[in-house]
Amino acid sequence: MLFLVAAGLQLVFGVQRIVNLACGSFYALGAYFGVTAVTWAVRGGLPPVLFPLVLVASGLALAAVGPVVERVLRTIYDRDESFQLLLTFALVLVFEDVIRFFWGTAPHQMGSLYLVYGQARVGGVTVPVYNLVVIAAAGAIAAGMGWLLARTRFGRIVRAAAENREMAAALGVDMSRLYSRVFTLGVALGTVGGALVIPATAAMNEMGIEVIVEAFAVVVIGGLGSMRGAFVGALLVGVLKAVAIATYAEVEMLAIYVVVIAVLVLRPSGLFARATA
Amino acid sequence: MVGAAALVATAALPFVGGAYYATLMLPFFGYAVALLGMNLLFGYTGLLSFGHALFVALGAYTAAYATSGLGLLHFEVVLLAAAVVGLAVAVPVGLLCVRYVKIYFGMLTLAFGMLFYSFLYKFYHLTGGDEGMRVLRPSLLGRPFAGLGKVEFLVGPYYFYSLVLLAVAAVVMWRLVHSPFGLCLRSIRENPEKAESLGVRVRRLRLYAFVIAAVFGAVGGALLAVPTGLADPLLAYWTHSGNLVFMLLLGGFGSFFGPILGAFVFIFLQDFVMSATSYWRLVFGTILALVVIFFPHGLMGLVDGRART
Amino acid sequence: MVTTRRNFLKLVGAAAATAPLRAAPAFAQSPSVRIGVLAIKAGVAAPVGESGLRGVQWATDRINAAGGILGRKIELVIEEESNPKDTVERFRKLALQHKVDVISGGISTAVGLALGPVAEELKTLWLSWDATTQKGVEEAMPKVQYAFRSTDNEAEAVMASILAARRFKGKIATVAGINNDYSYGRDTWATFLAIMKKYDMNVTAVSELWPKLGTTDFTSHVATLQQAKPDLIFCSFWSGDAPILLKQAHAVGMTGTTKFVMTTAGGVHESLKKAFTPEGMILGYNCMYFENPNASALLKQFVREHHEKYKEWPNYESDHAYFTIVAYKAAVEKAAKAAGGKWPTPEQVIGALEGIEVESLSGSRRYREDHIMEATFFQGLSTHKNKFDFVTIDPVEAMSTKQIQKPTGVGLYDWINGWKL
Repeated sequence: MLFLVAAGLQLVFGVQRIVNLACGSFYALGAYFGVTAVTWAVRGGLPPVLFPLVLVASGLALAAVGPVVERVLRTIYDRDESFQLLLTFALVLVFEDVIRFFWGTAPHQMGSLYLVYGQARVGGVTVPVYNLVVIAAAGAIAAGMGWLLARTRFGRIVRAAAENREMAAALGVDMSRLYSRVFTLGVALGTVGGALVIPATAAMNEMGIEVIVEAFAVVVIGGLGSMRGAFVGALLVGVLKAVAIATYAEVEMLAIYVVVIAVLVLRPSGLFARATA
Repeated sequence: MVGAAALVATAALPFVGGAYYATLMLPFFGYAVALLGMNLLFGYTGLLSFGHALFVALGAYTAAYATSGLGLLHFEVVLLAAAVVGLAVAVPVGLLCVRYVKIYFGMLTLAFGMLFYSFLYKFYHLTGGDEGMRVLRPSLLGRPFAGLGKVEFLVGPYYFYSLVLLAVAAVVMWRLVHSPFGLCLRSIRENPEKAESLGVRVRRLRLYAFVIAAVFGAVGGALLAVPTGLADPLLAYWTHSGNLVFMLLLGGFGSFFGPILGAFVFIFLQDFVMSATSYWRLVFGTILALVVIFFPHGLMGLVDGRART
Repeated sequence: MVTTRRNFLKLVGAAAATAPLRAAPAFAQSPSVRIGVLAIKAGVAAPVGESGLRGVQWATDRINAAGGILGRKIELVIEEESNPKDTVERFRKLALQHKVDVISGGISTAVGLALGPVAEELKTLWLSWDATTQKGVEEAMPKVQYAFRSTDNEAEAVMASILAARRFKGKIATVAGINNDYSYGRDTWATFLAIMKKYDMNVTAVSELWPKLGTTDFTSHVATLQQAKPDLIFCSFWSGDAPILLKQAHAVGMTGTTKFVMTTAGGVHESLKKAFTPEGMILGYNCMYFENPNASALLKQFVREHHEKYKEWPNYESDHAYFTIVAYKAAVEKAAKAAGGKWPTPEQVIGALEGIEVESLSGSRRYREDHIMEATFFQGLSTHKNKFDFVTIDPVEAMSTKQIQKPTGVGLYDWINGWKL
């Protein structure tokens, strides 16, 4: 799931050169909104089996905040990147209280829907089928993003803009429309990610602040602006955490930062980024 | 002129403002010292650190370790120790960080800040973990002021001690930025390639700026820790770094007195808004956003009007 | 120079503006008792802070409706508890600016450690809800005057461990711990192991996991626990992570085979849905259990009104907080009586608070002479047989802190080792 947040971060950075601290907030927003949407839907008589569709839909619906936020960010595109970082920090603060205002402080969860699909045995261990659904969904989104970026006209424009935005603008690409769309897509990745993960967990205050640090780790390890890097980085952080927990649980938290710094120092552009990023 | 006026007003505050507002000024002194350093780094050199809380926490923990661990109560020694520790950590960290600029520099400093946070949290035998370490009441200039209660101590001798320290720090920084060194830093901010070609050793000077900023941060942190009486890991958390940047921007970076003003306004604004509503983060986020969008030069930018470049 | 004068005048103006505000209540027909409240409002522990605030509010409404404390109405001044630095500043604001008579509140241990000395410095009476001034399990402030602390952090782990020892002796050989990565988590786990040893349980710890507070994904932890195959899992989670862990453990079928001890999850009892929370798990509700079959009329009324107002069933923090207010009221009345009917000084109130015993929501509670709370703790085995969609406990076991909290001046582990079983 980290992949989706990180992928959103990557996409936006790649094209717009904005490091979005608020991507974690979108993730949290997606989670809270997802709980609410599913609760309504089930109360409205939706068969429980269909609930992942509701989650995806709610995540996509929530991406409507994307253009609004992008409009705010647009005011400072011509300034130093540091300002953009700061503005997204402001958004983190705002969203934290927005969530508290609408959903209160108590953790929100979805009850038993997590196990609607039952369990499966994979290689001798029991795994909830929903986890497999989420993994499949993440894989599908990754593949879809790959297709979108590599094969479609939109993707070609995005890549062109990431390569050289002046050139793209000069060639007649409507940059403001492109930015708006790319940013919204980035937001959607975060909100859908937050919504999809929620049945297995619970939405809590501050989850946005927590997830951002990990998303950063993923992005740095994978390389800023690289979609493939986000995927590999997310896998790596996941594996790293699992190994640390299984072997020497004390270092769980420390291990990630050490790797992040090692990567930053040894290969600042990340494991997968173009050297010029 | 304005600085001197503010100084007089600040010195008069404990007598007219009531004990609470005087105690509220104490974190201001600490933050102001730390921000003077951060401004050298961002305002004058163009490097925005998103992990500067690392050094503030480092100073606070040095004060804690010196006073409650070693029993060293001379505050001059504590401040010196904070400066030395800040220096010792800043050199290797700086060597790694100043190789990068802009967003990479910000992210690397953020990562180091979080590494230190995890260290404080994890090595609890050494640092007290989440519970932190007590910072005991120091003696100033060899005088323990044992006759005073802690509040009288804080709003009395400690207040003026901090004020003088801030003034000294400001003078030192003023000399620094108006020296050839300061000029070189500004040339780096404006155009690093050009500066390099003119013989400015860009990376080395960036390192110097980083280290000086760190020392100011650590001294500020030590100053900050005494009124709280505790050094805890949250001082190193990335949102605390975010607050530091907020103050810097609010006051106006690049302008010499901007950060001092920023720290002042931030603290009193927080005091007011936090009491008024539990949604103070929303208010603060909105203010920050407005400042970033409409007043990039902060409050000083408003004061100076068009004068600033 | 213009600026000097302006600034100076502004400062004087500010001082003048606040002065009448501060003085105003004194001229009203009858002065009020000003109680400062510190409550966590954001983050993982925000629900705990809210629960405490509700307890204070309920106590205040009742006391004011019945005429106040010695005829003076209670006026609450609420500030936010956050990190230690900011909370110390808030505390000073309550004491120096609002000039409150007493400050009630404080949940986090780090904040408690910072507030303890400040209360002494400011000579301001501080009645903590949940915060202790212990560094780990050692009392950092053995001699206090103005600070009154909560029950020890480990009390619930002590009780849950005793229950586990009694119930599972001979039935478990391996144990695993999953606790939050900070002093509370580590101390509760160490306490559990010490008690297992004391009871000659002959258990081996096969896994110790330390997820960060606020973790929302335990997939890796659960996988590790699955590999370790412990007979019993000990967990002192108290926030939203408790249901998440249970849900994810349940999803891989662990809740059917492994015994669970959740020392503190009763604090988020409504989130422990039957769908994934097993029966027969040792579950702790700290010092107040809302469905206590022996509930007093007071508790029943509180639970009913709480549910009517907030649509939620209350948890223990309300009782900690409620107790601080009613204990203060009782102490003021007692001290006033001794002082011939005059409003007592803070020092007289402190004298009266030491050893005071009052009826709180959960039953009778008191302050020990060393300023530590005494209360009864409630734990039991989780059951699905109730009218809710979440688990409750049956049978309900009650233990007093006289039994599960170390006495004054003794080390925790020395005390445990010295038990006569």
